[in-house]
Amino acid sequence: MQRHLILEDGSVFTGEGFGAPATTFGEIIFDTAMTGYQETITNPIYDGQMIAFGMPVAGANGIHAEANESMQPTIRGMIVHDLAEVSTNRQRRMNLDRFLKQYNIPGLYQVDTRQLIRHLRESGPQRASIVDYADDHAFDQLIATVLTNKQVKNTATPKAYANPGRGRHIVVIDFGLKHGILRMLDDHEANVSVLPYTTSINEILTLDPDGIILSTGPGNPNSLPESVLTLIRVLQTKAPMLGVGLGHELFALANGAALTALPAEYHGMNHPIQEIITQQIFYAMQGRGYVVDDQTINHKKMFVTYRDLVDNSIQGLRHRDYPAFSVQLFADGAPGPTEANVVYSDFFETVEDYVEQHS
Amino acid sequence: MWNSTAKHPIKNILFIGAGPNGFGVQGENDAAIYQVLPELHGLGYQVFVIDDNPYALSLESLAAQAFWQPLTVENIKKIIIQANIDTVVATFGGRRSMQIWEALAQDWQDDDGPLPQSLGLANPVVAQVNNRAELSTLLTEAGLPVIESEVAATQDEANELMRKINLPLVIRAQNPIQSHTRQLVSRLDELEQAVAEVRAQSLTAEVLISKAINGMKEIGMEVVRDFRGNCMQVGTSEDMDPIGIHSADSLSVSPVLTVQDPFLAKMRSYAFQIANLLQLEGLLHVQFAVDEARDLIYIIKVSPYFDQLASRVAMVTGYPLALVSMQLMLGTPLEKVYLPHDFNEKMAMMEPMMDHIAVKLPIFPFGDLAAAGVKVNRQLGSIQKSVGGTVGFGRTFVEALEKAIRSAHFNNRSFSPTYMAHISDDELIQQLIHPEDNRVLLFIEALRRGYEVDELAELSHVDEFYFYQLQSLIEIETAVERHPDQADILLRAKRSGLSDGLIARFWRTNFESIRQLATQHQIEPTYKAVDPSAGEFPENAHQYYASFEFEDESTRLSDQSILVVGSGAYRIGETVIGGYASTIILSELRRLQYQTVMMNNNSQDATLLPHLSDKQYLEPLEISDVMAVVDKENPKAIMVPGNRRKLIRALKDLGQNVLVIPKDKHLPGGPGENQSEFALNFFYDGQQAFALNISQHRDGELRILPQTDLDSVDLKDLSLPGPGLFQLVFHQQVTQPVAHVNLADWQHDSWLRPMPFGQIAFLSKATGVQWFRLVVRALLGQLGEGDYRLLAEAPACNVFLNQRMINARTDFQLHLQPEGDLDVTRFEMGVRVAPVEPRSHESE
Repeated sequence: MQRHLILEDGSVFTGEGFGAPATTFGEIIFDTAMTGYQETITNPIYDGQMIAFGMPVAGANGIHAEANESMQPTIRGMIVHDLAEVSTNRQRRMNLDRFLKQYNIPGLYQVDTRQLIRHLRESGPQRASIVDYADDHAFDQLIATVLTNKQVKNTATPKAYANPGRGRHIVVIDFGLKHGILRMLDDHEANVSVLPYTTSINEILTLDPDGIILSTGPGNPNSLPESVLTLIRVLQTKAPMLGVGLGHELFALANGAALTALPAEYHGMNHPIQEIITQQIFYAMQGRGYVVDDQTINHKKMFVTYRDLVDNSIQGLRHRDYPAFSVQLFADGAPGPTEANVVYSDFFETVEDYVEQHS
Repeated sequence: MWNSTAKHPIKNILFIGAGPNGFGVQGENDAAIYQVLPELHGLGYQVFVIDDNPYALSLESLAAQAFWQPLTVENIKKIIIQANIDTVVATFGGRRSMQIWEALAQDWQDDDGPLPQSLGLANPVVAQVNNRAELSTLLTEAGLPVIESEVAATQDEANELMRKINLPLVIRAQNPIQSHTRQLVSRLDELEQAVAEVRAQSLTAEVLISKAINGMKEIGMEVVRDFRGNCMQVGTSEDMDPIGIHSADSLSVSPVLTVQDPFLAKMRSYAFQIANLLQLEGLLHVQFAVDEARDLIYIIKVSPYFDQLASRVAMVTGYPLALVSMQLMLGTPLEKVYLPHDFNEKMAMMEPMMDHIAVKLPIFPFGDLAAAGVKVNRQLGSIQKSVGGTVGFGRTFVEALEKAIRSAHFNNRSFSPTYMAHISDDELIQQLIHPEDNRVLLFIEALRRGYEVDELAELSHVDEFYFYQLQSLIEIETAVERHPDQADILLRAKRSGLSDGLIARFWRTNFESIRQLATQHQIEPTYKAVDPSAGEFPENAHQYYASFEFEDESTRLSDQSILVVGSGAYRIGETVIGGYASTIILSELRRLQYQTVMMNNNSQDATLLPHLSDKQYLEPLEISDVMAVVDKENPKAIMVPGNRRKLIRALKDLGQNVLVIPKDKHLPGGPGENQSEFALNFFYDGQQAFALNISQHRDGELRILPQTDLDSVDLKDLSLPGPGLFQLVFHQQVTQPVAHVNLADWQHDSWLRPMPFGQIAFLSKATGVQWFRLVVRALLGQLGEGDYRLLAEAPACNVFLNQRMINARTDFQLHLQPEGDLDVTRFEMGVRVAPVEPRSHESE
């Protein structure tokens, strides 16, 4: 059935509906990666957003349990150019269309996604809605919509849970983490405790972590309570710390830097990222609407470790006084290149040093 | 930690060309060399090229000094010493150049002076890469997943290995000669013959035996690396057909669609590891076999040199791979690579993303051979049978597939929905298991007959995705058939890449009425840019393909542009030469300061290189495609090869200014046995004909006679269609080369024809005059005084008469298994030049 994507600036993009026939609202962004549609739509960082994919066809790999980055997708819509019906699920003939239906998420295909992306690249993120009729009523509804800023609350775990392992004890503070982080920790055989971001400093220190990870997550970092920044400021003095994505942004905020909202968000895996000290270049999946403002970094406290060579944005920070560092990019490679996995190796080396010094 | 291979200062660079064309060697290497020569020249290097292919564009580049000589160790050595060469590039010429370079390095004596450095790969690594067993050991020791192979020098050793490795096996030549194959052995009794055949293809009479992995998915990946070890993925391609069918004979799709992200990420990291292992600078193609269900990936081929995948990846992504590789080879770090021609300044270090799909369709010689009454073995296997390929661009797989099929210029009948209707169910099953060409049509027929997707996927080892796609194509074709003259159906059909001509056939009408219906309902192509950032950044795009969507990104270039219609895919008997002609034409138009628009669909020649024209359309060349571009660009003139008669007529009917490059429809021809074909070659400026010289074509060899008294032939009363190069031809029972013919013979029994493009290329090199440039100037009415002086003096100035053009020895037995001999004069795959008196050391 023909359906429409409408944007708050008045534009209409028409395609065929798939997934759920629901009418939804959300902020629309675009992603230029060619692979990993399932990883992307299940990544909690996209909570409440609609994603326009640049890849020419989605669904060609079917749906795989191991490709989920969360238990269930919470995006508000998926816009693709072409849709494939492949299913690889032995039990249920699950394909992308049915997957979205199951979670009541609408999709739109046969959209001129290249036109949409070129439009969004100029306009930046906008409120958008997937509707049956692109009439005045639909636009009135869209303009009246207030989008939530509670994405972290929506996606982060409300209860602590463990992912036991035989290695180092790593506490993950969950802001809406993607499973890739847990897989990386699993590769290093870590004993993992995932805690809500509302957990008290005392409770965390009682667990005596060997290392702390500030997870990835959705939304505007400035909308989180000040208590989170206090927590980071204290914990970075107590154990090795790694912030990723939203965790990196919070780490920067906690150490006095400010963030800048990007005119157009970047979601993709094709930008070169350079490690400043070695000049080595690698590529990694990125998903960001904010970057750390270069001008606001207190160079006595922190230094820049990685930069995106395309827009020169800060991709990594390290604290001068504590074994604490962070990366903007998703270093777990789900989806995308795995070269940045070394960030986790660096983290575990730091953890080992710390354990050695404090035993 | 990282060292540049260029340890010594670079001053004089020699490129070793790719040599004659043949199976697996089309124009891509020459195009890559041709592309980088001006850049190197601009950077202040002295550049030299050696090649013996008369169709080589690089030999005509103004940026390099060309050596038009047989590619032998001796000749290259002489050039190195004579021209003081300090640096050699063998990786651009491909596998053959790498082998010659290694042979030269081994042959090099201390008193020859210092051996030049080789760019991209250090000299010892070149040897390592050339030796399959050594390369395999290197990879295995690094922990990379290769299929281990073992060497057997005798039948007994082969038998022993068979018991150890178990059937099915693959047998390949160790230290292979140029035309080599891989043989699949699935039964005990096949081993002996396979070993015997493959041993004959080995310089050391040794074979490599390994486990067969037929049925796995085949993936190609192209990466680059700089001297610091920074690697980047440029592009990927997946074969629709499984391993077991030669990759060149398979339908291939970019980007990879059916492999999950973690597997691609793993292949990427293997490719980077290999690049680091070889310490290469520049590009690397790695071919993989993958089986996701069994979690298996094997590295099956490592090609650290320019090849067909490299040129296709560059074309389909819009990423200037040759230019970037060249700079990486010179020791430029990835982030400092500078791109000329208003490319986006950061493009070199950004991994290209595709928001479109490109399908490569192989071109087989079977139709042309059948038309000439030659029967060959059409079954596809591990031996390459295709002679070229076309690329179709689309926003969906189906659209790209249809456009690739149309680019291949099948006659209308061969993609008719009823084409396979006659074959029996048994035959259909047989062909599903033992594939022939027309794979896609066979699958469509099977789906029509009600075979289930999973059943077909299992039989053919082709991913289900493709069957679902073909099913949707059937649905569209059925809808078109059932609903004639409906605009909404027409839009669906156009979105799926169907041509006006095909739709017209479904609706029993002509393409003009389809165009009318389309115009009435504003069903017009929207051109999309081939943009490596996939829309993230405004690119200075020059390359476009048609789709039927909402936004058209292409704007008219200018009111003074000239559209050049290319000649599409290679076919047997007429290989790279169409591309050669278009390239020289573009170059001349640029020199004359015209703005040019190029239209073509071949990834293996130079015609679509970004620096040759102002704008490129990567499109099929059917009348409807050309018409659409003409509507868009409204060019001042359109250059069309003369064999496109229907197109020329259609364009003229529209009142377009059509400039015809004289050319005959290709028919396998040439003199018979015991015969010579003599041609009086002449140039016609539109008013007057100028005799140039006489050539003799005999037994796969073309030479120009030293005869200069050409005045006595009367060229006044010939009826010629327009400016160009023509010849008066006649056959005579002569088997020896002659120095002189009696011109009186031309008064009877001779016939007139446009000079074949291949002969023009040879003539251009033999006379040092680029004749296509004169044709262009004549067509535009811009011949100058100098041109006329040249034409007047031409008969007396045969410059390089010590050269002749001979057909390269193509191993048709190996590739096509024809019943009886195939005459290379008639079924040319490649040519080379040789001195008139062949010397004993001259060998292939």
